[in-house]
Amino acid sequence: MKWTKYIIPGIIVYMIQLWLSEFLSLNTIRPDFCVVLILYWSVKDGRFAGTVAGFIIGLLVDLSGAGSFFGLSPMAYSITGYIGGYLKGLYTKLSPLYFTLSWIGILCFQFLIVSLVMYQDLLVKDLALFWFKWIATASYTLGFAGILQVIFPIYRLS
Amino acid sequence: MRNLYLFVVKNKDHFVFIIAIFLSSFLLLRNDDPGMEFIRGKSADIVTVISLPITWIKSLLLVNEENQYLREKTLQLSLQVESMLNFAEENRRLQELLDFKRKTNLKIVPTRIVNKGIQPNLVSFTLDVGKNDGVVANQPVLTPEGVIGKTIQVGNRASIVQSITDHNYRLSVRILPSGATGILRWHGDNLCEVSEVQKNVNIQIGDRVVTSGFSDIYPPGLPVGNVSGVYDERGNYQKVVNVSIHSNLNALQNAFVIIDYQNEMD
Repeated sequence: MKWTKYIIPGIIVYMIQLWLSEFLSLNTIRPDFCVVLILYWSVKDGRFAGTVAGFIIGLLVDLSGAGSFFGLSPMAYSITGYIGGYLKGLYTKLSPLYFTLSWIGILCFQFLIVSLVMYQDLLVKDLALFWFKWIATASYTLGFAGILQVIFPIYRLS
Repeated sequence: MRNLYLFVVKNKDHFVFIIAIFLSSFLLLRNDDPGMEFIRGKSADIVTVISLPITWIKSLLLVNEENQYLREKTLQLSLQVESMLNFAEENRRLQELLDFKRKTNLKIVPTRIVNKGIQPNLVSFTLDVGKNDGVVANQPVLTPEGVIGKTIQVGNRASIVQSITDHNYRLSVRILPSGATGILRWHGDNLCEVSEVQKNVNIQIGDRVVTSGFSDIYPPGLPVGNVSGVYDERGNYQKVVNVSIHSNLNALQNAFVIIDYQNEMD
């Protein structure tokens, strides 16, 4: 496995996330470029690479300033990398629609895990706000992932 | 033994995933461990260095250096006004009964916000002051408009702040002039919610909200926001108060850390 092919894009995306996410924030919601990168890697190289990359990048994200729940990002990103790995080589077997819905579902699931931990009190107090938080964070990142599909479609990796 | 090795190699994806989940859970459960705090403090120092270029560009754009002195002055004056309003309100009530004298001294460190985390939600900031500047964990962070968080992890030259926009952040507040107290938490946008407020208290839209002083972290009378809505909860002896906070958290560049305060009541 050539680690350089992970390190350079990883550093670039991390820097973009660190430097630019603040400028792209809507209210308090920011796009998550790291999870998109992990999804790409896992679809391209499988579960092992996705899980390892997810854990390491998640750790970097949390070390860059997690207010609470330190360890949540490695967990969520590892799950994304692991599940995303199941899509490796599936584009030719699944229809394009199911393939696209699968990676959208994986991203939504990742944000659901994060929301379930971070906004657990909202589940009891204000369920509508909880759904809003989840959908807002997921759809903002999905928007950027959608734009990326035009430039570099994820099915090419599978 | 060889069979076991082959089994592990064959299923390495699943084993790595289990290990990753186990390690993540371990980290989640050890958030308050002193060793973890040390690592996070050091990483905050490194992130501050990495964030320097973008911070420098932002500083150039906004001429922050020149504004910093004025902001500090504004904060001091704002706190003085807040303090004087508190004095006036208390004085009106207690003038005939008590010879009330209050003195509040705050020791403030101005700081720049160098980073706002990279998580999908704004839950923390990184400041460019740390242990070398007298900052320790659990100190209030504020702007002239009001409280925006507290320090949670401190490195030598940087600190991580839990933002008021973190859903797990709570602040004990007092609503003036009624004096009602409650627990404030962020709700969304620039809106917070104060719960556990007694139902029989008279609260009006526009009332000022300040820190109650019940906490060991926050001195009393720090501005927080203004009441923007009052709701009675059916079947409950308490009411819910909505509070607008004035700080534009997305655009924040500077803040202040209260590293020491004295509160003497004679």
